[in-house]
Amino acid sequence: MTLFELAILAVEEEPEGIDLVLPEIKELWAGIIAFGIVFAFIRFLAWPRMIKPALERRQEAIVGQLREAENVKSEAESLLADYQAQVAGAKDEANQIIDEARTTADSMKSEIVARAESEAASVLDKARTDVAAERERAAAALRGDVANLSLDMAEKVVTGSIDREAQAALVERYLEELGGLNE
Amino acid sequence: MDVEILAFECETETDVVCTPPFVNELFETNDVFEIFGVGVNRAMLLMFVAAAIVILILWLAFRKQNIVPTKFGAAVESIVTFIKDDVALGIIGPDGLKYFPYLLSIFLFILVGNLFELTPGVNFPITSRMAIPAFLALATWVIFVFEGFRVQGLGYLGHIVWPKDVPVAIRPLVGVIEFVSIFLVRPFSLAVRLFANLVAGHVMLTLLLVTGYVYVAGFSNATFNGVFGIAWWTLALAIFLFEVVVSAIQAYIFTLLSAVYIQTSVHAEH
Repeated sequence: MTLFELAILAVEEEPEGIDLVLPEIKELWAGIIAFGIVFAFIRFLAWPRMIKPALERRQEAIVGQLREAENVKSEAESLLADYQAQVAGAKDEANQIIDEARTTADSMKSEIVARAESEAASVLDKARTDVAAERERAAAALRGDVANLSLDMAEKVVTGSIDREAQAALVERYLEELGGLNE
Repeated sequence: MDVEILAFECETETDVVCTPPFVNELFETNDVFEIFGVGVNRAMLLMFVAAAIVILILWLAFRKQNIVPTKFGAAVESIVTFIKDDVALGIIGPDGLKYFPYLLSIFLFILVGNLFELTPGVNFPITSRMAIPAFLALATWVIFVFEGFRVQGLGYLGHIVWPKDVPVAIRPLVGVIEFVSIFLVRPFSLAVRLFANLVAGHVMLTLLLVTGYVYVAGFSNATFNGVFGIAWWTLALAIFLFEVVVSAIQAYIFTLLSAVYIQTSVHAEH
């Protein structure tokens, strides 16, 4: 065995640190094939048929949803503006109705007060008229009674002065009757 | 007593603390089966498992074209849209969509490969085998160089070796530095960064977990074996969580740098 062969044997038997750094040929081929499979899968199948469509579809969906959200937002803003306009209109209308009602109420109040005052005045006039009529009637009745009484008194006076003899006869007859009674 | 700890045999009666014969033992795995006369080891098998997981994840997430995705679908979609919008389109520009499948592929493949480090029952990141980082870095290199020449023609090389924005006196020096940096250092650094991070994480986790196991199982002569073991495992748990972050960050950095390199090639102003 030559010295060179001995050296080769020594190298083969004793592991060297450099062995770790140098790639083993069969592992290199295995790595190439394994990575080649991964790359081929991603390049020709996963990326064009799975990843890209999924990402694009999601992106489209997100963009579509964003657009839809924008539309809904603008629609909502429009509805809000309409609603606010309606509310503002309703408020104006309500204020108008209130004003009209207030005006009507004031008018009615004035009318009622005027009518009441008129009726009160009418009642008062009637009462005054009635009182005056009653007073008149009472005065008339009183005048009649006074007249009658005066007549009666006059009559009595007249009658008394004319029938003095009859009255004396009566007194006498009365005395006679009293005497007859005493007997 | 012989105990199999990870990938090596540990004779606990003679070795107080078992150590693997060499650090390579943590990364080199035996063949699981043969196919066409080629032995398939655990790392190779895991590469195909990683590919299957990536495909399964994408298929489950996007098989139903629902407007409202499931929680799982939304999570995967957030990763996909992050790579598309922030990396491909954000860094490369409107043309970046063309490179998106490649960027998504490397991100998911590296991420799953990295997370194998933390997957119970697997605990082996395929990116700690140089084959994966080297191949992916080479693929990125081929893409950005090819795209550079396709978009800018020979001007691509001209801009690199004779940069017009620097003073004439230092143009040759900067040109050489740029040439070496872009055509040699970039792919090397891209590969080694990922590889070294995952190797370091795997070694660190293995040492912490095995050390904790050695104490808890009573292989050590220390007085408070259980306490030491739990302490090591607690530290391992912290590093475990740290490695989750490292796995994601390394996948992101590799993808991000790939996008940056492509962007500098397809835009002449850079």
